[in-house]
Amino acid sequence: MEQPETQFREWHLGTPLSDEDIAQVRAGDIVYLSGPVFTARDGVYEHMLVRGNEPPIDLRSLTNVSLQSSPAGVEVSPGVYKVSSLQATAGFRYARYMPPLLERYGVKAVVGKGGMSEDVYRDIFKPHGAICLSTMGYGLGAIYGKAVERVLGVYWLKELGISEALWVMQMKEFGPLLAEGDVQGHGFFTQVNEEINVQLSLAYAGLRPPVFRRLGEEQRPEQELF
Amino acid sequence: MAVRTAAIPQELIYRAAYEANRLAATTVPRDGLVAFQRAAQRESKPLARFVLRKIVDNANLAVAENRPMCADTGLPRYYVKVGNEAAIEGGFVALERTLRQAVADLTHDIQLRANRVHPLTRHNPGNNVGIFAPNVDYSFEPDGDWIDIIVVHKGGLFGTDYRMLFPADGVTGIKRFLLDNLAEFARRGLSCPPVIIGVGLGGTKDQCVRLSKEAACLRSIGDRHPDPLVADLEVELNDLANRTGFGVMGVGGDTTSYDVHIEIAYAHTGGLPTAVSQLCHAYRRAVGRVHPDGRVEYRDDPQWFTPYYRRVGIE
Repeated sequence: MEQPETQFREWHLGTPLSDEDIAQVRAGDIVYLSGPVFTARDGVYEHMLVRGNEPPIDLRSLTNVSLQSSPAGVEVSPGVYKVSSLQATAGFRYARYMPPLLERYGVKAVVGKGGMSEDVYRDIFKPHGAICLSTMGYGLGAIYGKAVERVLGVYWLKELGISEALWVMQMKEFGPLLAEGDVQGHGFFTQVNEEINVQLSLAYAGLRPPVFRRLGEEQRPEQELF
Repeated sequence: MAVRTAAIPQELIYRAAYEANRLAATTVPRDGLVAFQRAAQRESKPLARFVLRKIVDNANLAVAENRPMCADTGLPRYYVKVGNEAAIEGGFVALERTLRQAVADLTHDIQLRANRVHPLTRHNPGNNVGIFAPNVDYSFEPDGDWIDIIVVHKGGLFGTDYRMLFPADGVTGIKRFLLDNLAEFARRGLSCPPVIIGVGLGGTKDQCVRLSKEAACLRSIGDRHPDPLVADLEVELNDLANRTGFGVMGVGGDTTSYDVHIEIAYAHTGGLPTAVSQLCHAYRRAVGRVHPDGRVEYRDDPQWFTPYYRRVGIE
């Protein structure tokens, strides 16, 4: 018998996200987004949040969803861009940029990959009423790319290069995205990792640590590494 | 004087390199698609099953719409196997130039993301070509008059690690290192599991890491090492990897690894160098064999690890 496709809640939300929409999303839900989003990863975070450059467009009035991504896209004719494939990059390394991003730009949803620690959700996301979403697999890049209805603009190309530039895109049913951190400060991966760690410790049973260790090495495999 | 085979023209090599890159970016090899579908059917956890089904959908969409299956189109690289009797127009210097040109052109045409940057300045030339980029590795095969152009697009951030183990660590140490590697990188889906795992055992350190990478990227899911001792360990390690429970993208599930491939090389008597490389489920590889008569045959199986390549039975 065909098993049911989903046993979890799905949300189809428009951007900019409303506080009411955000409040109902719980860690472990599946989310699809429609509307404008902007990309920001290493380059934009440093340029905008650390060096304090204001973007050439008013992000605050446009959207409150930021995507940790550089799309596979090209300039098909002067000023016209097309995205074929889309994916977010691992978000844990961007935790330190979250306070200025949420405070100064009013971002309410950060879409990354794999999320951040629950501490970040509790201490930074929750006070701002923001959530963290995760893309679900590099093997979903074509599906996510198809959700790009239109590239509204690509900024800071000269300063940051095409793979780090600020892309503003109009999305349609961009998903499935996993609700990783919710407004209550709960993290899906933190929860699921507790279950996985039970299984993992069984796999480790009877396997000795290496005879020669490495300086600074984490010896407890159940721990997060960031 | 021996009869020389006709030189393989650069134009033909360019065409094969270009098409192999396009196929690699968009088309999952058949062994991958079978493994994806089987994992989706077998999965017992609802969320993991949902994601695995989406991965199958994505593979079909990428082919149907000529979209890269992942936006991180990785670091395009070549493995070139040259038949010992092959002649190349302009020689290897011309071949290398052609391969670089194909990556630069593909970056624009198929929208491969321009991933390659200067490591310090972070300057992006915009075409995936630069110093030591793209990687081109060569091997040679007795008798053939063809060139195999194998293209691999592999991400570059998570999943590869090396450790100098010692004979006292033994197979137990190898298993533990594999679990450590998965606990580091499969958690939260950083390495994008389910993955294909390559394990390098022995050799010099650099050889060990290279073999783990090639084992992950250049063997087909389900094929076994010819040495039964190694083949048994491959199966054992794959079972172990799937007992971790990380599952697709670390959401918790039954399939973390599609397969484990081990390559061995003779090691220093005092050491057991071990390397692990994970190839993500955006499984991107294609092969074009270029013949001197102008034919190009595309296939899934790289046929990289031949007995000659492993230097089996050579005095």
